[in-house]
Amino acid sequence: MNAIDPRIHQALDGELAPAALSAELRRAVERLATAADLLAALLPFPSLESRVMTLIRRPVPSRVRRLVRWLATPRAVTFRVRPAWSLAFAAVVALLTLFPIRHEGPDIGEHEGIAQFVGRFPGAQSVHVVGSFNDWRPGSIALEDVDQDGVWRATVVLPAGAYEYMFVVDGERWVPDHLAERLVADAFGRENSIVIVRPARR
Amino acid sequence: MRLWLGLALVAAPLAAQSARGRLEGRVPGAAIPVVDSLVQRALAEGLPTEPLIQKALEGGAKQVTAPRIVAAVQVSLGQLRDARDLLIRAGDEPPATPGEVTTVAWAVRRGLPGPVVERVVAALPRPPRASAMHAVADLAAHHFDPDSAADLIIAAIGLGLVRERLLDVSAAAAHELQRGHTHAEALALVRRELPSVPASPKPTRSAVARARRPADATPP
Repeated sequence: MNAIDPRIHQALDGELAPAALSAELRRAVERLATAADLLAALLPFPSLESRVMTLIRRPVPSRVRRLVRWLATPRAVTFRVRPAWSLAFAAVVALLTLFPIRHEGPDIGEHEGIAQFVGRFPGAQSVHVVGSFNDWRPGSIALEDVDQDGVWRATVVLPAGAYEYMFVVDGERWVPDHLAERLVADAFGRENSIVIVRPARR
Repeated sequence: MRLWLGLALVAAPLAAQSARGRLEGRVPGAAIPVVDSLVQRALAEGLPTEPLIQKALEGGAKQVTAPRIVAAVQVSLGQLRDARDLLIRAGDEPPATPGEVTTVAWAVRRGLPGPVVERVVAALPRPPRASAMHAVADLAAHHFDPDSAADLIIAAIGLGLVRERLLDVSAAAAHELQRGHTHAEALALVRRELPSVPASPKPTRSAVARARRPADATPP
């Protein structure tokens, strides 16, 4: 630490007129005097009473602020669970992870829809639906009579659009769909039914 | 332009080849060369070929004789030509797209008069028009006057209904008939309801679960 020039001490004590100092020493004396004034102007340290009163008078925080503070404050949470229940919960989570629930049936594309073919053919041994959706290939789409009541059904995923079709009963008898509202002459002396398949995702 | 011409030159023989391949074993042998030449003629004229192939396959599946298959395919080719001419008459820029030609040919086969089809085409300058045609044809099949049926569907188009929603309009009119209204009343009721006709129900979950996807499905 550098020693302070004794003339500065003298000037600060009023023993030496500032005019008698060099310009450099005069600036140093002025800076020290300013610093001394600032220290003298500082507020006294607040008392305990005033600090308590300040805290009491502080405005109540808003609800949102209180909620945020509540959410941000760490808290201890205690669960009282029987070990048997925790094991069962863990088992269910493990099963769902290993064997996720799958949607039944095929995935249907954006431009696909579902066509339902229904016909009443009591006593028939087999019924197939044949049309422009399967290149008129007999035998590729079979209808089923699950409850043996003579009503045969098939539900098929097809690209959206309009198709002509007929039923083939017992592999030889070509029959139009009597429930279809749309019919068109087939140019072979019979009538085809028309199905319009709408996109399933609308 | 050159690229398109090149592609067309390559695509035409390929399409004809694939048609012959699809017909062999499915259609009487005597019919195949004639059907094949009709398919090639359709290709050369820019007409769709799939309806001709489907008609031949249908005849083969129904065990129809070769001459009848050829006759049916010839009739189909004539219908496609008429449909193309109708489209151009109604304002479509040539060449008419194969999809629209098929749609119009189908509408005429379903019994719609040419002028009615032309009105629907003119009302829907942008394809696809298949749903609009089927909606008018559905109404005609329920013995609505074809002109009035076209008026209703054109009104629905004017109110912003498109595609499958137009089929909901014809279904709503048919529903009003079933409820005991006359044809005129049914049309008036549905027209008042436009554009808020009820939408057809979506397939149920159980229907989706039951559905099977055929291995050999052919797009329309």
